[in-house]
Amino acid sequence: MTWAHRIVAGCFIAASIVAGALLAPGCASARRDEPLVGPVELPTPELRMGQQVFMRHCYQCHPGGRAGVGPALNNKPLPAALIKTQVRQGLGEMPAFGTDILRETEVDAVADYMIALRQNKPDKRK
Amino acid sequence: MRPILCCAILASFACGCTALAPSKGGGQVIPSASRRVNPADIAVPPGYRVEVVATGLNFPTGVAFDDQNRPCVTEAGYSYGEVFTTPRLVRIEPGGRLAPIATGSPEAGPWNGVDFRDGAFFVAEGGEKSGGRISRIDANGTITPIVRNLPSLGDHHTNGPVVSADGYVYFGVGTATNSGIVGEDNFHYGWLKRVPDFHDVPARAVKLVGHNVTTDNPVTAEQGDTATTGAYVPFGTPTQPGQVINGRMPCNGAVMRVRATGGEPELVAWGMRNPYGLAFDAEGKLLVAENQFDDRGSRPVWGAGDLLWRIDRPGLWYGWPDFHGDRPLAWKDHYQPHGKDAPRPLLAERPNDPPAPAAVLGVHASACGLDVSRTDAFGFAGQAMVALFGDMAPEVGKVLEPVGYAVVRVDPSSGVIESFAVNRGGKTNGPASKLKTGGLERPIAARFDRTGTALYVVDFGQLAITPTGPTPVQKTGVLWRITREAAR
Repeated sequence: MTWAHRIVAGCFIAASIVAGALLAPGCASARRDEPLVGPVELPTPELRMGQQVFMRHCYQCHPGGRAGVGPALNNKPLPAALIKTQVRQGLGEMPAFGTDILRETEVDAVADYMIALRQNKPDKRK
Repeated sequence: MRPILCCAILASFACGCTALAPSKGGGQVIPSASRRVNPADIAVPPGYRVEVVATGLNFPTGVAFDDQNRPCVTEAGYSYGEVFTTPRLVRIEPGGRLAPIATGSPEAGPWNGVDFRDGAFFVAEGGEKSGGRISRIDANGTITPIVRNLPSLGDHHTNGPVVSADGYVYFGVGTATNSGIVGEDNFHYGWLKRVPDFHDVPARAVKLVGHNVTTDNPVTAEQGDTATTGAYVPFGTPTQPGQVINGRMPCNGAVMRVRATGGEPELVAWGMRNPYGLAFDAEGKLLVAENQFDDRGSRPVWGAGDLLWRIDRPGLWYGWPDFHGDRPLAWKDHYQPHGKDAPRPLLAERPNDPPAPAAVLGVHASACGLDVSRTDAFGFAGQAMVALFGDMAPEVGKVLEPVGYAVVRVDPSSGVIESFAVNRGGKTNGPASKLKTGGLERPIAARFDRTGTALYVVDFGQLAITPTGPTPVQKTGVLWRITREAAR
């Protein structure tokens, strides 16, 4: 990928993040702790693989999808395509995870897991 | 060009957000002299219940259960912030009264953990001033060291311990430094003033690349004085390419073991930064919770989450100071702090390829004491319950929200981590003092009682990180108990 492509991809992600942040209702909490909201449902092998990829590569900076040394993920309404682009390209302090680290199927799986985690909201028990 | 320019501005704004945002660590609060305690402010899975066992503990760090299944707690006698008190082992009587069993020397703290086996307690005497020791404490309070002079006068201490079924006491000794080079951060912590020649000690010989760092010299009073320092040597001592640092036992940055009756310590694992929590799983394999690198000092490292290890082969090197788990710190830009140099390798040859960790926990979570659930009555059998002390930001690096301040359960076979006990209230997690609730402050140990049906959580109490450094509040420690309703 050329630098021009990287800049365009970065701009796309940044614009989406800014737009998402503006649209996010009241900066909702990113807390998805099991004792607070119940276990996240992972009915498929792909989602369970995504969980393990997340634990190995993402959890340390975004524990439970909350903020840590990286920003919170659970309250950002990014679609899977943008999640995957950011994983591959990195952004800001986030390093890139290239094909030498994560296979395409793993990136697909981790994006799907992150969306499942994000949707595991407190109000699901109502 | 205009759309691209707008996007570039947006991108730089987004990139800069996290880089420019201030740290929001859980300890960045104004310390309070009092502490409210309310189990209802702690969330646990449905069917579990939280109770208060004791309050007013002074820097508690560990719990063990005597022959009568009574909880006995170590009070450290030292806290970061250079606060020295008297280390003690106290039994918790019904109603929460503290009955002293043994009292240590004020020089011997921090007492970092305790185990009980065959009528005696085994305590890790941290050794911030006098060197680490593993000591046996009999029922009458007699303290008998079984290992002395462990090199733990620096950033990290002598920790653990846990006694194996075959009668060995396993314990950890943390490194002197963050990442191998003594620097100004160690002066700020306090120990470099006391012991200016102290440094890290490898278990086996290591060959250096000769990387040195030049910093201000806080040891001398002269303005503008600098010091050049290499790895595994005293502050102000440079190293040469190819220089060999001889190994020595006892070392630091390692897990060792000694017979409960005493003797020479044996190496179990080395190349660990701060192996704090130790426990055996159902198969008798040792699990170790290790505090990983900080973004501070002469060789700062960014983004290195704490690790849970399952020790399969004795004597292996586990990566410190050049690896985070099985990844070298030179791995792309993943460990480069913002606006600083990437950490350069210190070793010319790696002793072995480090194995992969069992789990990678949050950066700066401070994974401390742990235990393995062993009964279906409590649930989650085979999983490790790990106490997360919580970040010490901004001292250790920046965080965007509090990290830790909870008990997590970890499946060592899959590496999956789930919260088990967390504070309610607030959009973010954090210590009770930040959330203004009566919940968890800084969990430092988790251990099951002798029946395996009650998980006790040792809560160190308030430790704020103020502009002058760590500021602990004495006698705010709590012992919590978590049980499953059906098992009661």
